[in-house]
Amino acid sequence: MITNKPTVLTLQLERFRYSGSTNNTLNAMNLALSEGSLTVIVGDSGSGKSTLGAILAGMLPRHEGDQLEATLQLAGQEICHGGGSTVRIDPVGWARAVGMLPQDARHYLSGVRETVAEELALGMENAGVPRQQMHERIAELADRLELGYLLARDPGTLSGGQERLVALAALALDAPPVLVLDEPLAGLDTQAARTVVELLGRLRASGTALVLLTRALDSLAAEAQQIRFLRGGALHISAMLAPASLEPVAPAQRPLTRQSPELLLDFADVALAYPGCPDVVVSGLELQIRAGECVALTGPNGSGKTTVLKAAAGLLAPSSGRIGGAAVRSQGVGLLLQNPADQLFERTVGREVGFGLRRRGAEISRIPSVLATLGLSEYLDTHPYELPASVRRLVALATVLVHEPAVLLLDEPSEALDAHGLARLLTVITAVVDRGGAVLLTTHDEAFLAACAHRVHRMRPALRASQPTIAHAGHRGHR
Amino acid sequence: MSPNLTLPDIAPGHLLRRRLMAAAAVVLLAGTYITLVLTQPTGLTDGLGASVALATFAAYLISALLLLAAVLPELPVSTLTLIPVALALNIVLGQFVGSVMIPLYLDSLGTVLVGFLAGRRAGAATGVLGTLIWSLFNPTVLPFAAGAALIGFLAGSAARFGALRRPYLAPVAGLVTGVLVGVLSAPVAAFVFGGTSGVGTGAVVAAFRSMGDSLLGAVTKQALISDPGDKAIVFLLAALLVYALPGRLSASFAFVRRYNVLGRRTSR
Amino acid sequence: MPRTLAVHPFTVLALVAAVVAITTAASRWWLSSAVLLLCLGTAVWARRARRLVGLGAAILVPAWGSQLLIHGLTDATGAHVLLAAGPIRITEQGLVTAGELGLRTAVLVIAGLLCTVLIQRHDLVAAVDLSGAPPQLGYLLAATLFLLPRLEQRQRVIGEAQALRGARVGRGPRGWFKRLALRSVPLVLSALQDATDRSAHLAARGFPATGQHTRLRSVPDSANQRRLRILCLCAVVLGPLAVLAPSWGWFS
Repeated sequence: MITNKPTVLTLQLERFRYSGSTNNTLNAMNLALSEGSLTVIVGDSGSGKSTLGAILAGMLPRHEGDQLEATLQLAGQEICHGGGSTVRIDPVGWARAVGMLPQDARHYLSGVRETVAEELALGMENAGVPRQQMHERIAELADRLELGYLLARDPGTLSGGQERLVALAALALDAPPVLVLDEPLAGLDTQAARTVVELLGRLRASGTALVLLTRALDSLAAEAQQIRFLRGGALHISAMLAPASLEPVAPAQRPLTRQSPELLLDFADVALAYPGCPDVVVSGLELQIRAGECVALTGPNGSGKTTVLKAAAGLLAPSSGRIGGAAVRSQGVGLLLQNPADQLFERTVGREVGFGLRRRGAEISRIPSVLATLGLSEYLDTHPYELPASVRRLVALATVLVHEPAVLLLDEPSEALDAHGLARLLTVITAVVDRGGAVLLTTHDEAFLAACAHRVHRMRPALRASQPTIAHAGHRGHR
Repeated sequence: MSPNLTLPDIAPGHLLRRRLMAAAAVVLLAGTYITLVLTQPTGLTDGLGASVALATFAAYLISALLLLAAVLPELPVSTLTLIPVALALNIVLGQFVGSVMIPLYLDSLGTVLVGFLAGRRAGAATGVLGTLIWSLFNPTVLPFAAGAALIGFLAGSAARFGALRRPYLAPVAGLVTGVLVGVLSAPVAAFVFGGTSGVGTGAVVAAFRSMGDSLLGAVTKQALISDPGDKAIVFLLAALLVYALPGRLSASFAFVRRYNVLGRRTSR
Repeated sequence: MPRTLAVHPFTVLALVAAVVAITTAASRWWLSSAVLLLCLGTAVWARRARRLVGLGAAILVPAWGSQLLIHGLTDATGAHVLLAAGPIRITEQGLVTAGELGLRTAVLVIAGLLCTVLIQRHDLVAAVDLSGAPPQLGYLLAATLFLLPRLEQRQRVIGEAQALRGARVGRGPRGWFKRLALRSVPLVLSALQDATDRSAHLAARGFPATGQHTRLRSVPDSANQRRLRILCLCAVVLGPLAVLAPSWGWFS
């Protein structure tokens, strides 16, 4: 890519290997960023793009165990990693040159301040900037990025999109010439994604070079100066087509064949509320799920989609109405929660999937085939926490599938899945539907919705008796 | 002005001053304990008793604060982000035990975990901090800060000398820790509060008293009955938790790498 | 809505420390009772009385029980015996000792908890940050206080997830230990992973501060309050000395 703008960062990387790992996560690659440019790095979950981002942002290598051989030029200096001597990175100085927005913006935010303004000021506070000057710089920043409406908010009550806006603003405060963004649009609805894109546009206009790490080419990537595909630890100019064998049959295209399918799950005028919380989350729900169908629940955040799934799985008793159906009676309901970490607690994938199963039961014999279906056979002895996010999600799905539930409940299943993971998921949904089971899922992802759902049930937020309280802020944690 | 991207090789520090503070804390603590054991003051609520109570309270609290001030500036950021997690775990898991009515405290699990992962200084600091924060909800724990520091310190020492390399060594280290901590904390219970924090432990002390023991003797014996078992379980549980950590995470702690805390388990 | 004071948190802490130290030194039932009433009155004014009494009772009831058992029921030295049966020996002196110890503990607990219900945690954190304490202390305090509800929430979610997985455990001590391990492993794993993920970003934002640090938030303070704090700190040391010194002369 030829530009006449000055180059702000170059990276010549020989290799990177994590401490205790037996193979390199990254191999030979070169990267040059010019002022105000947008560079998109596309890679599957686990391809090493977060590792690359962390190297650019000076967060790797963490200690002498991590092996990095690379030369970086930025801020008029040349840093040589490897070759005998260890480089001790000054995290504050480096952050002034390269800022990093992690995939979960809450990892960036300290979470200990009462207002967004105080959260923004954290870096300046640690640098000892006088109070008056902090107020001025925050006011100026909020003005420039049009975020004034957020300054007095409690950071704990922000939505996912707003959290990213605040983290980006805190990063922009130091005006680093380079910003690395890890999946800045993942999990955001259209509205929230637009505000983030607008903010990134303003930052680019002021000369910040952006590096976008992403699983898929999204709306942001359209304006990119350079697009690189990260595969096998190296950067490539062209994308590789997914192997045809993984191309799944979209379940939605399967016609409903059975004449009078069995009623598996039946919500009759159901109202749901959390214990100790006066507000009704869901009221008057009428929903029937029959064998062989895949139903999607959609609706804005807070409309109670997750709550419905929890009630179907028996975690929450309805405050009025009745939840019935063949699957409820036979306890054949399996739920995949949104955050896989909550469902995983064993040392290896194998022990995880086999957890709590009777030693000679039918479930144990099912393990190999479930793992094969999800492409997890090679990870049998790996710690679930050392797997890429997408694979970890599939492990959580495997723990549900070994019980062969009649109704499979999935909470935002496509989130955190890369193309391979998504293909596996669609295969699983098809298999459940084909064997006469049913799937009920929630999603924000329009493309995924179109591919898998036979029909859509839209939910509206229930009328609230009172304003959201701190207890409600807690419930937000379910997402 | 271009920012500094790398750090100088040696970070400047006030090492001597910190060592002196830590030494002063240990001397103050040991001195108070030895004085109390040797003099065995009898009055609890007269002028002398009140003096002993205040002096014990102050000495135990001040030595804990000195230790904290000596250790805190030395801790790296990775340890500092670990400590709040440990403190919150102390409280959350302490509540779990409370809710099943088993006479154990388990309120030092997080402290032991920090000792195992980040070493004895970090463990001691966690103990003191945990007590300070817990005192916001229960002011009576304040003078027990020194005991909590000792738990973290001993957990770190045990890990350093290989208590985690075999699963059965951890509870043994816990037993020893329980004995030492029980003995150190007994004067606070005896002379500041004249009793224990619960009815069950109080009954045990009363039984020893009726058999003719002094108050300090009875409280010490009670502590020797309940503390070692509690600490053995806490050490065992903390060891199991450390084993359950993914290798990349446990290897990110310099202490674990340097002293080969996990033995062969690290090579996984 | 609870009322709040526009007072520096350290002023409240210093006042309470002075009051507790002097009351403990004086060891007079009427002074201790007056202090307790004053604390309760303040809590009523701040509309936090229920919380104060609830928190206080949870600590004091078992402590009182323990003191009563140890001193009230098995006193060995008291002369005026009220009841003696087997190991039990109830004396007037023993009951008085138990009562006085109970009052001493009550003053510490109620006055200490009064600080907790009066002080706003954000102000306390800011005050610690702006004081001469090591810069790490404020963050650790804040992070723990704000992590607590989050971890409790996570523990509930993990409990639900395990119910879904059909995590069955037996009864008795083994079942209890299994349940504890099942609860704590995912909690600790996720919390530690989270802490590790955060630490790099905190370091990038200059934490912990190496030199001078400031706070955007201003904590209510005044010259009078500063004077009062110094006065209270002197009282913490000199008050008990003044009250107790005479008794030492008698002792020697």
